[in-house]
Amino acid sequence: MIALRTVLAAMMIFAASAHASAETAQEIVAKADAIRNPDKPFRTTTVLTEYRSGQPADRNILYVYSKIDPATRQFRNLARYVDPPRDAGKMVLLGSVLWFYDPATKDSVRISPQQRLTGQAAIGDVLTANLAIDYTATLIGEETIEDAGRQQRKCWHLDMKAATQTATYNHIEYWVEEGSYDPVKAKFYADSGRLLKILYYRNFLERLGGLRPTQAVIIDAVDSSLVTLVDFSDSKFQDIPDVWFQRDYLPHLNAQ
Amino acid sequence: MMRKLAATLFGASLLWSAGSAQADDELDRIPQMAPPPAAPATDANQKIFLQNDVIGTVRRNDLVVAFPPPQPARWEERLFGDARMDWALGRDVRFVFSDRFNLRAEDGLDFPSHEDVRNDFREGYLAWAADSATFFDIGRINLKSGVALGFNPTDFFKTRAVVEPLSADPSVLREDRLGTFMLTGQHLWEHAALTVAAAPKLTDPSAIYLNTNLPSFNPMFDRTNASTRILVKGSVGLFEDFAPELLAFSNDGHWSYGANLTRGIGQQIVAYLEWAGGSSTDLADAALTYGKMTGTIPLAAPSLLPSDTTPSFHNDLAAGFSYTTESKITFNFEYHYHQAGFSDADWTHWFGAGALHNPAADAELWYIRGYAADQLEPTAREETFLRADWTDAFIEDLEITAFVNTDLRDFSSFAQATADYYVSREWTVGALTAASFGGKRTDYGSLPGAETFLIRVSRYF
Repeated sequence: MIALRTVLAAMMIFAASAHASAETAQEIVAKADAIRNPDKPFRTTTVLTEYRSGQPADRNILYVYSKIDPATRQFRNLARYVDPPRDAGKMVLLGSVLWFYDPATKDSVRISPQQRLTGQAAIGDVLTANLAIDYTATLIGEETIEDAGRQQRKCWHLDMKAATQTATYNHIEYWVEEGSYDPVKAKFYADSGRLLKILYYRNFLERLGGLRPTQAVIIDAVDSSLVTLVDFSDSKFQDIPDVWFQRDYLPHLNAQ
Repeated sequence: MMRKLAATLFGASLLWSAGSAQADDELDRIPQMAPPPAAPATDANQKIFLQNDVIGTVRRNDLVVAFPPPQPARWEERLFGDARMDWALGRDVRFVFSDRFNLRAEDGLDFPSHEDVRNDFREGYLAWAADSATFFDIGRINLKSGVALGFNPTDFFKTRAVVEPLSADPSVLREDRLGTFMLTGQHLWEHAALTVAAAPKLTDPSAIYLNTNLPSFNPMFDRTNASTRILVKGSVGLFEDFAPELLAFSNDGHWSYGANLTRGIGQQIVAYLEWAGGSSTDLADAALTYGKMTGTIPLAAPSLLPSDTTPSFHNDLAAGFSYTTESKITFNFEYHYHQAGFSDADWTHWFGAGALHNPAADAELWYIRGYAADQLEPTAREETFLRADWTDAFIEDLEITAFVNTDLRDFSSFAQATADYYVSREWTVGALTAASFGGKRTDYGSLPGAETFLIRVSRYF
């Protein structure tokens, strides 16, 4: 009986490793991308709540309109600030070229990828990025880790290096659950190798035609007191014309 | 051998426990009982706020060219309500309204008087989306063009549009700017855009307003629709990151042309160039012509500067770049060229004529510089502009902005620094200080205001 169990266990281990080797690292990342976001245009309300030393300190709400650019297969995002009221109506266009628009001044200012990171809209941008497009992944191995709810998850541990100019981070460590392809955890590193952020996905619920994470937890590795919760709600598929993703469209957007 | 193995195992266990402790530590930081996201408390299509500003100004007393009355106010108190609303009237029609209602008091202004109450009707227009890429707007519209920050040669509708600015920062100047009554049509393609705007003449040009004769309730179309203006502008993405915008602008049949170009360089730099050119006379002649036409300057008044009354082609240029650091500071550095601005000879004559202390001459000399300010154009021919914007400066929610304009002829400068602290989602407090530097016979050193201080409180709804 013990021998049979041993054989079965060995077969399961063999099956698991055969499954992993059949799947390339890039395919794993692509399947996790498909869990995070659909390939059809959609809009979502993104609520960013900053916690300082465990206490809610700040909140930003944005409407984000997302659509894949057929040329790059990467998402373009148009983010419109809703809250706080001092920023209401301001927009950030995050496509191949980045623009900031303020309806109070009717002024469009082109911004650099670095300047994008000074605003909260960049977080939404990073969370819709198709990582398989921007990064080259290598499978490090299998690991059982705790997710944000302290549940054990058996994951593929991937190492990803930036492969395009549009990649926001130079290097990412990524954990994707075996079998489900659910993204579980990621670590983001600066060019210098410094750990910047740790990200956990949680609250997997039915959204945009699939079981997808509805909350991302971003733990700041530089500022040890800061944690940001990013909640996605009111998500729906929406027809988004391509002209929305150019500077001259921005004054016409009336966000509903 | 065993000792080495034991040491290795111990080391490994230390590493494992350190890694585990690190994971525990990061998981401990996650708020497990996070409240569900609340519904948006504000409307992205409107912005309403109340603001109070208290301003103090230190005058410069030893001016080479005496400043004519009224002198700059030593103190000002401004309370205003500001609203911008964007209502959807149907699936394809919107109405946009933008207005600022001011209560003000200041040194030298009668109280109570109608001057204590002022309203700026900035925008009010109907917008119709004929289809997903074709748009028509009609009404009072603030149409802005240009890619530079400190000086926008292609922003053809900027002239006379800014009323009572509270800051000299070009990015703030545009916040209380009157729109022009116009009809616009625009069609967008995925990588191209074409815009046509036509603004009719509704009234005759008016004299430049002083701080003491601003109307209380008047849309002031004399500032924005005193001539017939047409703008045609188009942009096209020719190849990756190269999408020039070309402009043609007619002001009562006098055509000017312009171009805008931006380009990203790496992750941190955006370079930009803005050019406009057209036939005109120089600043001194344009100012005197306008002053005589509107009755401010006597028709028989002689020109005190060697102005050229024959129109010729003049170029305006703003070229620069922005650079953002990893510590959230964005720098903008620009070179400005305004060919119609004062030459060396103009400055020499300006100070020379002013040194004679003739009040009528002083009024004319300052009128020329006031005209340039009213047109939102520099008096100087060549300037540099350096601006820094630091988000989360020193502490979270503190934003510091500073800029300095330097006249390259005499290296006199105007500098301003602003600090805004976002106390909460509703409240912001801020402070501003500005000063002009330079010798008595320099561009900025000859200004009547030496230093300005401002504190403000804003409440957003």
